[in-house]
Amino acid sequence: MTGRVRRWAAARNVMTLSLRWISLRLRLMLVFALVALAAAVSASAIAYWLNRDAVLTRTQDAALDDFRKSLQDNTGTLPLGPTCQELQAAADRMAATSQKYEVLLIGSGEGGKACAAPSDRDLFSLKVVPKSLQAAVNRERRVDDSNRYAYHLYWQRITLDGKPYLVGGAKVIGGGPTGYLLKSLENERADLNSLAWSLGIATGLALIGSALLAQAAASTVLRPVQRLGDAARRLGEGKLDTRLRVSGTDELADLSRTFNKTAESLQKRVEELSAREAASRRFVADMSHELRTPLTAITAVTEVLEDEADNLDPMIAPAVQLVVSETRRLNDLVENLMEVTRFDAGTARLVLDDVDVADQVTACIDARAWLDAVELDAERGIMARLDPRRLDVILANLIGNALKHGGSPVRVSVRTEDDALRIDVRDHGPGIPEDVLPHVFDRFYKASASRPRSEGSGLGLSIALENAHIHGGEITAANSPEGGAVFTFTLPRDASGLAEQPAGDGEGGK
Amino acid sequence: MTTVPSLLLIEDDDAIRTALEFSLSRQGHRVVTAATGEDGLKLLREQRPDLIVLDVMLPGIDGFEVCRRIRRTDQLPIILLTARSDDIDVVVGLESGADDYVVKPVQGRVLDARIRAVLRRGERETNDSAAFGSLVIDRSAMTVTKNGEELQLTPTELRLLLELSRRPGQALSRQQLLRLVWEHDYLGDSRLVDACVQRLRAKVEDVPSSPTLIRTVRGVGYRLDAPQ
Repeated sequence: MTGRVRRWAAARNVMTLSLRWISLRLRLMLVFALVALAAAVSASAIAYWLNRDAVLTRTQDAALDDFRKSLQDNTGTLPLGPTCQELQAAADRMAATSQKYEVLLIGSGEGGKACAAPSDRDLFSLKVVPKSLQAAVNRERRVDDSNRYAYHLYWQRITLDGKPYLVGGAKVIGGGPTGYLLKSLENERADLNSLAWSLGIATGLALIGSALLAQAAASTVLRPVQRLGDAARRLGEGKLDTRLRVSGTDELADLSRTFNKTAESLQKRVEELSAREAASRRFVADMSHELRTPLTAITAVTEVLEDEADNLDPMIAPAVQLVVSETRRLNDLVENLMEVTRFDAGTARLVLDDVDVADQVTACIDARAWLDAVELDAERGIMARLDPRRLDVILANLIGNALKHGGSPVRVSVRTEDDALRIDVRDHGPGIPEDVLPHVFDRFYKASASRPRSEGSGLGLSIALENAHIHGGEITAANSPEGGAVFTFTLPRDASGLAEQPAGDGEGGK
Repeated sequence: MTTVPSLLLIEDDDAIRTALEFSLSRQGHRVVTAATGEDGLKLLREQRPDLIVLDVMLPGIDGFEVCRRIRRTDQLPIILLTARSDDIDVVVGLESGADDYVVKPVQGRVLDARIRAVLRRGERETNDSAAFGSLVIDRSAMTVTKNGEELQLTPTELRLLLELSRRPGQALSRQQLLRLVWEHDYLGDSRLVDACVQRLRAKVEDVPSSPTLIRTVRGVGYRLDAPQ
């Protein structure tokens, strides 16, 4: 029992699934066609049967009435026990009426010898008349109140050589001959056939009409649905000013109105958010600009303080040193903030040059006095078209980070892969914890809350990543199976395609 | 150098002007200051300094305009101080004729090094001359003549031409030229070279848009060719 239920449910699932695959248009057409077909077929069938009955009954009644009268008239004039010639003559006479049927008269003839007199010898003989009909015709009935005659007129429809005929027969009361008629129903059949054809054609036309109607109905329903679909797609692609034209008062118009309202509030919300974001970005950018002016003045004189530190009171010198070193940090921080705001505002530009990558890496390491702590695995002669300053920022951040958190030796390898450059920076430290790994490029992300904030601006890796992106490159962080963290930096060897959009310019050297 | 070079510092912010004047004076420069572009141009005519340190953001006429006005008559070196390192400023500055630029906040030492590097460009060196078609470079007199007419070149343009002419037919990368002419480190801005080459071409080439002397070598840098 449960098995059957399950099978039934499965079948239902398959059906709904297959229905879902058929498009709405097809489904509508199918339903329309089915309705049209049912209506047309039932109407045609009823019309056909009514018609058929009426036509056949009329023809048949006319023929039989005529036959009965004719039989009475003609046999009445015959002598008792007529000869075969007389029967034949009577049959011919009877057949010559306007009703166009053939007649077969069976008489007992002279001397009791049976005699068959057909009006058409080729067609009509007793063989044609079904035995049951003969039996019914020849059966004598008891005459009482309800039945006034001993013999009745009987008829039957038969098919002879594929053609329809009406066969009827009656026995003349009082020992007269038995008469049979054979009436061709060919004409009636032809009429009914043509009627059937007409009905068939009408049904076909109704089907075609219904298909066209379905198509039109589907279009009126589906066009707005399609428009709605297109609009929803455009909205999804970020074109928030997409709106639908609302016409009419139907459910679809209602849906369009709802869509428009949704799109409008979405657009308003996004605009609000982006305005707020732009404002906060502008604030950061303005603030870093404003910080620069006093910083420039301070920076210009801190060196003087630094140079004089040795001559100062030993009680004051540490304070001066602190001011000098913290001014540098503040400088770096503002510099990084400016860099970040440029990336956020999309105003960061590439200043491309053709450089030897190994030279650049060496220079970067050398400039920061890292030569002892870094193993460089790079062949000279790998040329690339990139922004040397940005490459330096990336390398300095990756290597500096590796030295700080991983510890030396840090291994830097430069490889080419087709049209791309791949620089691996690997340290020999404890690696990066799995839960920190996804956040290493986040701004101001600190691996642990307990870590002192003095280790850097917290923007280094994020800026390195932005610099890689602007080159069309990528930086990924992972842990090496042999231990230690590996930062992999890949970038195209020629970044010209990316730099061509606006006038190429970047930030100047310092 | 026996005489102390004199600098004209044009900067509108009082604190920065005072601090830079203080710092540069300590480095051994003679510094004259002006708070606006107009004052600066007036001082330039009166004092004839050896070099100008020019802030970009000035009230009244801005640094670029000051730079353009100076270049109409004078070929003395100009170093731009750009506060907004919105990079378009750098390009406009270089196009208006600046020799070098520094980004604020700048350390006194760095600015001093740039100033000395720019001033060195005008120093004489070996006594010989070279001819490239109608262009004659006289290294002893530090003059360049084209068709017998002396060209007005800034020290930076002259130094660039000298470095290129020392290795005729040999391509020099922008990085090499930055080291040789500007004495920048490995992070030098290649746009300095490009801008200077453009200005130099405008002066030495017959048709600056289709150069025959200073050729661009794609993927490398520039090369000085003797016309065929």
